[in-house]
Amino acid sequence: MKAAARVSRRIPVGPGIARFVRRNAWTLGIYGLFVAVMIFTISIHPNYGPYEIESLVVGALPLAFAAAAQACVVIGGGIDLSIGAMMAVANVLAARYMLHHDFQTAVLISLLILVGGILAGSLNGLIAVRTRVPDIVVTLAMSFVWGGVALLILAKPGGGAPDAFMALSSGNLFSPWVPNGLLLLIVVVSLVWVPLRLGRLGLAHYAVGSDRTAAFRRGVRVGPTRVFSYALGGFFAACGGLALMMSTGIGSPLAGTIYTLSGISAIVLGGVSLAGGRGGITGPIVAAFVLTLVPADLILTGTDPNLGQVIQGVLLVLVVMAGGLAPLLRARAIQRRVQAG
Amino acid sequence: MSKRRWPTAIGLMLVAGLLATACGGGNTSTGGSKKYVVGISNTLTGNGFREEMICSIKAQAKASGVVSKIITANRTTDPSGQIADVRNLISAGVNVIVMNPSDRSALDTVIKEASDKGIVVVTVDQGVTSSQAYQLYNNQVKYAQLGADWLFKTLGGKGNVVEMRGINGVSADADRHNGFMQTLAQYPNIKVVKETFTNWSLDPAAQQIKDILGSGLKVDGIWTSGIDSTVVDGYTTAKKPYVPTIGADNDGFIGQLINLKAQGLGGAAVTNPPTVGGAGLSLGLAVLQGKSEPHLVNLDPQIWDNVSSSGLSELQNHYDPTLNAYYSVSYQVAPWTTYTKADLIACADL
Repeated sequence: MKAAARVSRRIPVGPGIARFVRRNAWTLGIYGLFVAVMIFTISIHPNYGPYEIESLVVGALPLAFAAAAQACVVIGGGIDLSIGAMMAVANVLAARYMLHHDFQTAVLISLLILVGGILAGSLNGLIAVRTRVPDIVVTLAMSFVWGGVALLILAKPGGGAPDAFMALSSGNLFSPWVPNGLLLLIVVVSLVWVPLRLGRLGLAHYAVGSDRTAAFRRGVRVGPTRVFSYALGGFFAACGGLALMMSTGIGSPLAGTIYTLSGISAIVLGGVSLAGGRGGITGPIVAAFVLTLVPADLILTGTDPNLGQVIQGVLLVLVVMAGGLAPLLRARAIQRRVQAG
Repeated sequence: MSKRRWPTAIGLMLVAGLLATACGGGNTSTGGSKKYVVGISNTLTGNGFREEMICSIKAQAKASGVVSKIITANRTTDPSGQIADVRNLISAGVNVIVMNPSDRSALDTVIKEASDKGIVVVTVDQGVTSSQAYQLYNNQVKYAQLGADWLFKTLGGKGNVVEMRGINGVSADADRHNGFMQTLAQYPNIKVVKETFTNWSLDPAAQQIKDILGSGLKVDGIWTSGIDSTVVDGYTTAKKPYVPTIGADNDGFIGQLINLKAQGLGGAAVTNPPTVGGAGLSLGLAVLQGKSEPHLVNLDPQIWDNVSSSGLSELQNHYDPTLNAYYSVSYQVAPWTTYTKADLIACADL
């Protein structure tokens, strides 16, 4: 919030920048929040170093992907309550088939799992679009289906992956300050999200999310676009399942369950409107890092962990309230200006 | 205040609030004989067993007299979250970590990281595959075998039983199920007519026993994975004659075994002490002080039935009517724990 406000005072610089800031105020705000939390962390932990950075990235990666997955679906006007369960399926598939294999096979299996994630997401979307049953009902039902599938694949935690595969998230190629997990996240997001955001499909995705009827009248094929948003969600959910695999080295049929709700927290904090059509993917990802840093700080400061839950909840509500207040105040100011002539 | 200032003010308030809330108690006092910082990692909140486990660690820390500070990482999370928590405990500079591992092998890497930094890691309640960790836990296979064997023997080796398990996909549940099935194999005329997952929570178990009693299914005995008094309550409410029931060393169930014996309730409680937490800390502190301790301490569960006189006297010795129904009455783990029962129940910090 702080950074957003500071930049917004530079509005007279040029209409382009002003528009950019206005449109991305929330994302800039969450960056600001991240920087603030980071500064606080370093202030209480003077020895903050590569080990801590790696901890943060490895810890945040599954949530970051879960948030990206949910963001894709919600921007397209839906919601997917089966993200966590799909992550679990991807996680157990990886654990079961990567065990005792080399790195190349593991990468091949990952690619197949990513395709599987796209198909699973598409199935969620197809059911929601075809049956016209509300998304929340369809995906809640599908969360039981995927949860059951995960248990069928692996009844209890087990399996494994080659060390080199796990190093994709925890090791570092260039500098101990830049863990591989961070590079992986940046590469995946820029390869998938950036081209999409700039292309026609991305435009249709946002249009359908913001107003289905208007999008339809503009010639957007609403049904396929919605299915696409779910497919993209399925892809990122599969990424999340693989990230879980990288952090734990095993598959767990119940591992994904917490990511459905924490993913929704992250997108709300990251500035995606639950009504659809607003927000991006970087905000939720940065929010995932904030949500990972806060519990770490609570441990470092020795705060009562039960109080920690309250603090996290209060933080979430405060940020969302502050985000809702800014447009409201702006609207009032415009109204005042109009009244003044 | 101009409109432009508002977001700044909100932002500043947010940051200030965050800083203020996070600046709880951050005082590290060192010196004297109190030199060790203890880290606790637990991944299931709102559970009686886990709370008592944490209380026993705190009580043992106080009793040991060598602990300066306890840092607790306690939230409901998965192995990935627990890895993050343990890494944070390492960063916070603890000397010993007592954890209830959420997975058998997922934490091996982080346990190695801690050991390499000279931190003693003790896993309690459940086992891990790491060779660096010190492990202290109840033998869960034997836990199930003891109860199942008593139940099947009491039924004369013949009849219909219900198996009410814990959480599907969790290693302690899988171990107990294995033990149960091994014993079942020795009794060919015992039939499992229903298998449920209570998730170690009261509400699902209450619903399941209601469904079973309403279904008219002929049930001769019930084995539970620890959600026990709820099942007996179900029979009481439905005014059905009790059947032999197996539970854990929970105070409520122990009370029922004693008080409802006259009304026909037969059963047995198998011990599964949550106080392995305190025992684990005791083990970890001994290692820190240079003593040589075994890497694996397996506790043998005991069974207390309300039929034999020896079992009944154990039940009566442990029963405390002032405690909650699901408070475990295994207050101490000999020879490890040295705290008083009052300290355990008070659950106070150092």
